[in-house]
Amino acid sequence: MIMSNPDRKLQKMVIDGVEIDYTPGETIYQIADRSGKHIPTLCNDPRLEPFGGCRLCVVEVDGSSNPVASCTTKATPGMVVRTNTDCLEEYRRVLLELLVSENREIDVDTLRGYASQEFAELVDRYDARSGRFVGVRSGRSRTDDDNPFILRDYDLCISCYRCVRVCAEREGDYAISVMNRGFRTQITTEFEGLLADSACTFCGQCIQTCPTGALADRKAISAAELQGAVEKTRTVCPYCGVGCSVDILTKGDTIVGVHPAMDGPANLGALCVKGQFAFDFVQHQDRLSAPLVRGEDGELHETDWDTALDRAAAGFSDVVANHGRHSVYAVASGRAPNEAAYILQKFMRAGWGTNHIDNCSRA
Amino acid sequence: MAVATDRELLERWRSEPAPLLPLLHAFHERDGFVTEDALRAISRGLRTPLADLFGTVTFYHHLAREPGGAGAARVCTGLICRLNGAVELLERMRAEGAKAMPCSGGCDDPVHVLVGDDVLVGTAAGTLERRPALLPPLNPGDSRECVFSHIRTDDRARIDVYEDTGGYEALKNAVRDLTPQQVIEIIAASGLNGRGGAGFHTGTKWKLVAEAPGEPKTIVCNADEGEPGCFKDRVVMDYDPHAVIEGMALAAYATGATRGFIYLRYEYPRALVILENAIAEARQAGYLGESVLGTGSRFEIYVRRGAGAYICGEEGALLNSLEGRHPFPRNRPPFPVTRGYENKPTVVNNVETLAAAAHIVRNGADWYQSLGIGHHAGTKIVSLSGDIQRPGNYEVPLGFPLRTLLDDWAGGARPRRAIQAVTMAGLSGGFLVGSHLDITLDEPSLRSRGLFLGAGGIMVFDDSRDMIEMAHAAMEFFVAESCGKCFPCRIGTQRLEERLAGRAGPSDLGPWLDEVNDIGRTMKAISACGLGTAAPLISESLVKYFPEQVERHVRRSRDETATLKR
Amino acid sequence: MSNPLADMEKPDVIFCIGTNMTECHPVAATRLKRALARGAKMIVADPRQIGLSDLADIYLPIRVGSDVALLLAMAHVIERDNLTDPDFMAARTVGGEQFLQHVRQFPPEWAERITGVPAKDIEAAALLYGNAERGAIYYTLGVTEHICGVENVQSICNLALMTGNVGREGTGINPMRGQNNVQGAGDSGALPNNYPGFQPVTDPQFQNKFRQLWGTTVDIEKGMTKVTALGRAGDQIRAMLIDGENTLITDADRHHCEQALKSLDHLVVIDIFLTDTAQLADVVFPATAWGETDGACTNTERRVQRLRAAVPPSGEAKPDWWIVCELAKRLGFDGFDFDSPNQIFNELCDVSATYHGLDWDRIEHGAYQWPVPEKGHPGTPRLHEKEFPNGRGVFKIIEYRDPAETVSAEFPLWLTTGRRLQSYHSRTQTGRSRGIDFLLPEEVLEVHPEDLERWGLRDGGWCRVTSPRGSVEIKVKATRRSPRGTVFASFSFSNVPVNVLTGSGYDPITETAEVKVSVVRIEPCDSSSITV
Repeated sequence: MIMSNPDRKLQKMVIDGVEIDYTPGETIYQIADRSGKHIPTLCNDPRLEPFGGCRLCVVEVDGSSNPVASCTTKATPGMVVRTNTDCLEEYRRVLLELLVSENREIDVDTLRGYASQEFAELVDRYDARSGRFVGVRSGRSRTDDDNPFILRDYDLCISCYRCVRVCAEREGDYAISVMNRGFRTQITTEFEGLLADSACTFCGQCIQTCPTGALADRKAISAAELQGAVEKTRTVCPYCGVGCSVDILTKGDTIVGVHPAMDGPANLGALCVKGQFAFDFVQHQDRLSAPLVRGEDGELHETDWDTALDRAAAGFSDVVANHGRHSVYAVASGRAPNEAAYILQKFMRAGWGTNHIDNCSRA
Repeated sequence: MAVATDRELLERWRSEPAPLLPLLHAFHERDGFVTEDALRAISRGLRTPLADLFGTVTFYHHLAREPGGAGAARVCTGLICRLNGAVELLERMRAEGAKAMPCSGGCDDPVHVLVGDDVLVGTAAGTLERRPALLPPLNPGDSRECVFSHIRTDDRARIDVYEDTGGYEALKNAVRDLTPQQVIEIIAASGLNGRGGAGFHTGTKWKLVAEAPGEPKTIVCNADEGEPGCFKDRVVMDYDPHAVIEGMALAAYATGATRGFIYLRYEYPRALVILENAIAEARQAGYLGESVLGTGSRFEIYVRRGAGAYICGEEGALLNSLEGRHPFPRNRPPFPVTRGYENKPTVVNNVETLAAAAHIVRNGADWYQSLGIGHHAGTKIVSLSGDIQRPGNYEVPLGFPLRTLLDDWAGGARPRRAIQAVTMAGLSGGFLVGSHLDITLDEPSLRSRGLFLGAGGIMVFDDSRDMIEMAHAAMEFFVAESCGKCFPCRIGTQRLEERLAGRAGPSDLGPWLDEVNDIGRTMKAISACGLGTAAPLISESLVKYFPEQVERHVRRSRDETATLKR
Repeated sequence: MSNPLADMEKPDVIFCIGTNMTECHPVAATRLKRALARGAKMIVADPRQIGLSDLADIYLPIRVGSDVALLLAMAHVIERDNLTDPDFMAARTVGGEQFLQHVRQFPPEWAERITGVPAKDIEAAALLYGNAERGAIYYTLGVTEHICGVENVQSICNLALMTGNVGREGTGINPMRGQNNVQGAGDSGALPNNYPGFQPVTDPQFQNKFRQLWGTTVDIEKGMTKVTALGRAGDQIRAMLIDGENTLITDADRHHCEQALKSLDHLVVIDIFLTDTAQLADVVFPATAWGETDGACTNTERRVQRLRAAVPPSGEAKPDWWIVCELAKRLGFDGFDFDSPNQIFNELCDVSATYHGLDWDRIEHGAYQWPVPEKGHPGTPRLHEKEFPNGRGVFKIIEYRDPAETVSAEFPLWLTTGRRLQSYHSRTQTGRSRGIDFLLPEEVLEVHPEDLERWGLRDGGWCRVTSPRGSVEIKVKATRRSPRGTVFASFSFSNVPVNVLTGSGYDPITETAEVKVSVVRIEPCDSSSITV
């Protein structure tokens, strides 16, 4: 429940000619965003502190000689703001043309990461692939980093520092940082090493916030050639008890990756290496695909469900017939859903009439 | 003396505020470069993430990351030193490991060379000479000075000499007779504005800090005089350090601040020693310390040496640098007056501003007002350099005609030469030519022409100079100094430099101009700090005042490219 | 957890004890890191120099199994310096006077002799926590997996109760659950002493309730815990149904566990892989996995969330509930005619007090934290805001006692076990995910570098670790993360079955094994005998 603070009375401002209420402390960008304005930005991730680096989100404010960055500027009472004048749109187009000029041109696969299409979409929206501003390119891809999870394709980097900031502000790992300055800026680790030798925990947050696909999910893009559209299914991570919300990415019947759910109540978009990357056990060749029963030869053999269920039921019946209902025991899984645990305890209590049930919390 | 251990260095500096820069310098000097082990030790000692620390170290020009780099000679290749053979000198010295450095504030006596903490003057022929820093030339007019009024007194840097000419009287009087509010009122009434470039009203700044909630408060003296062609703060610190200290102590008294920093650019090692001596003397005399002049109020000053970054003259970047963070500029608001050093209220004032404050409190607001011409209040030091007979620092009354300064005070152009162009605000105001030189030096006059005085650096280029070359050298400076935080400046400076060098860009004049103008307009309008908004004034004024040179340049670049392709 | 995960960003003082959160609950740890970035202070008590200790303001490297001594001495300092919250104690607790009297016997100097932590550090930690406006305690299995696990938890509660750090934002007593749905399994009644929603099986009121609901007779005695059941296997217990647990690898004292399972007349295992445990079964049922199963689960902050299937099942795999229902139907049991998990979940909500206000549709967005006593209730992110479940918080008088085993000439080293960031439990899942091996290819025994020579070991060489219960061979890694005299390994790798060594004793109440403390000796062994 959101508590209303009496000191925080709503104020009014004007955006593109429309009066809008806001709560003191809100930035122009936040107010415009929730009012349905699509102010372009590349350095903004709503989970991070406003940075003010990309300057795409600049807006005109009455009384201010130059446009201001809407992401870092808080609204003031009566402020009059214009978000999309011809002049602003021209600055934005020039900026995007400049960005295009510093990078290698590729089609960025959506499997590269959660935010990987942001830059490409803006380039299309502003028709910025004009071929102007040719010059040397920035960033150097780390083809030598052979870690299995994070592709470091810095040729595509635009130095928005979202990766550095998410690593520091959200993950608290401070594994990556900014090296050099100006056009020679390079995202790096301590002493320009490999991620595996750094403080990186491979949580994948940098991948998911990267707006160009410069940092990419190596496991997911290995499925880039697979036919079909990428579908998302919201669920909860299968590992520890924190209960992070995730979106499983599928192509057809194949799980190809995982995205953190940015609105997940427990994780607010965060994940760890297991939740982010350890998903493919589900479709591993070792999965059991049919029931097994132990044969006369002492080995387990595949069989059909009816045979296996009959055999299992008969085994329990025999034991109870010979030793009573308190001779059976069940252990519920701490990994399976609530329904499994509920049904299993009901099976023991209502079926057999015993309280001989436990779960694996004692291990 | 035994070499200090990691632990000793960490213990030494951890007890002081803002320990990162001095620690880096201590390890840098001890080991000859910043070793990986040093960074690991500092990371553990200050509990700073190693990757952050590494990234921050790579930001600064002067922190060497290869053996022996700390002691290597550094040759200034700023515009004025280039006019005096800096490039040739650097080539001669490369074999010994010499490196280039951007304008290092020695434009009155080029070529500026640093070897360790030695400041030398070099020539194209390769000679290096140790000679004292130049005092300001004697004021040729009859105008009265403020900051320079006693600077030519022998041994002025000694506390007894300073006191003999009325030094520290202002502080003593203030503490004895004035309330902090009254000190602020004097400064406010004097009309003193910041002399570092932004020109904010000093009295108002002090008042805001005095009234802002949050302790402890801090006075930061911005002595990171990085603007090319500016060397006025250097002369004040070299010859009148106590004036700066007294100004800081007055600011502290007025605002309730208990700690002060002088953020000194790396390239002024002489000033470092002089300031540290002066601070020790002032402490000894009771002007600084646990109880300033027996008042029970504490005020300590710490000198923090930068490590080579123009952007650290921007106050947000300066504060980040002091705090040991990556020196990107901060977003504003909030301003330092409410959230400055360690997010507490902070005065950030330029050296000249603080030195003037001491004179103002001693002589009164009316006195300072009267120094200017007409209704303009006070004086401004102008650093004049380049193709001019008598380069140096001149304290001019505000409202003073630029022509008089150039032709009468400084002797005009060299024999048989005429002034082709001058820069304003160091490099941050672009070029100025012809009848545009008929202006008076005061903000209203300049602003009405879209100009500004900035920190007061004026570089002069005579008609022997290729302005494309000058503009390109200027843009190289901005490329080297762009911090990389905001997109327009990071990419825009690079693309402008490439076009001024003739390495890239359209081969026809029309599209070439479109690109240069589009980049410039965008940078000016939406860059995040003054560097990005100022850099395109170079290309803009070049295109405006030197169209023939630009046309020739574009044609020549095309021809050269064609030749290469053939 | 008494408090929501969101509260982890809000304490002034954080006290982590027996929790390697950056590895075991990494996403929760990010919230603590944000609190630290905001200026919060942190105390970390752990025998090993874990990741959290690097971030701590005060790190207390306690000897394994000495938690009670530390907590008593902290309480002593808080009482001595009048840092208690007398209003809270008077209004909300009972037994405070006796407790304060009790702790006067245990100064930090006494605890220093037991924990090995300097008295001044214990003192500093107590003052920090005692002076906190909002103090929060976090713990995990490092507290509970001891013969005195319950006493450890009670000592933590005492500390929080005496300082009033309960029931408010940024405070609380916060155990972190280790598995994705271990909370939900207990909530749903998979406990020997409780019906769903923690309704005691020994309470006639609930016996009647479930008798009527299910239309059957009910057992009026508490059931056995799993540990007891394994102990009685082949004797009183003759058949077991194990759902999704690799008991053999994850439980203490593997040899004992293996014998127990082998002695059963009938063992049925439901799992997604043919685990070491499944290989002993008479019947193995293939279950649908995460990503193939619809359902509900409950996290460590009591938040009930939906699991959704994204792909079809592997082969003929079926949901766990379907398998058990089919078994039940074959055995003639009534009440198992379900077609979908939502019917089952809704029945669970109907019979449970804690989930009563929930149903399948309401948990769509994971917005509720139990208890949700009735429809329309907003849920309860923070427990104990007004009162405790039984009215008042009860102080417990606790005395320190040694672990079940203590080091001796024969077994001169302490062994403690745990998890690592990159692998999960018995690696049935992480071991089958591409790339994880790159980060963590094998298990190692972590030994302090200065202990190597004494035991004739070499960093990267192999050693044999022997406890009173068995031996394993394992590679040696020198690291200062382990204190001198204590070694560490995780139990994740089946080729290095560390739980062969554990199982020295069990908490008498929860019957949780003391896997955090065993005594061992280590000796080098010829690597050629390993690399067959």
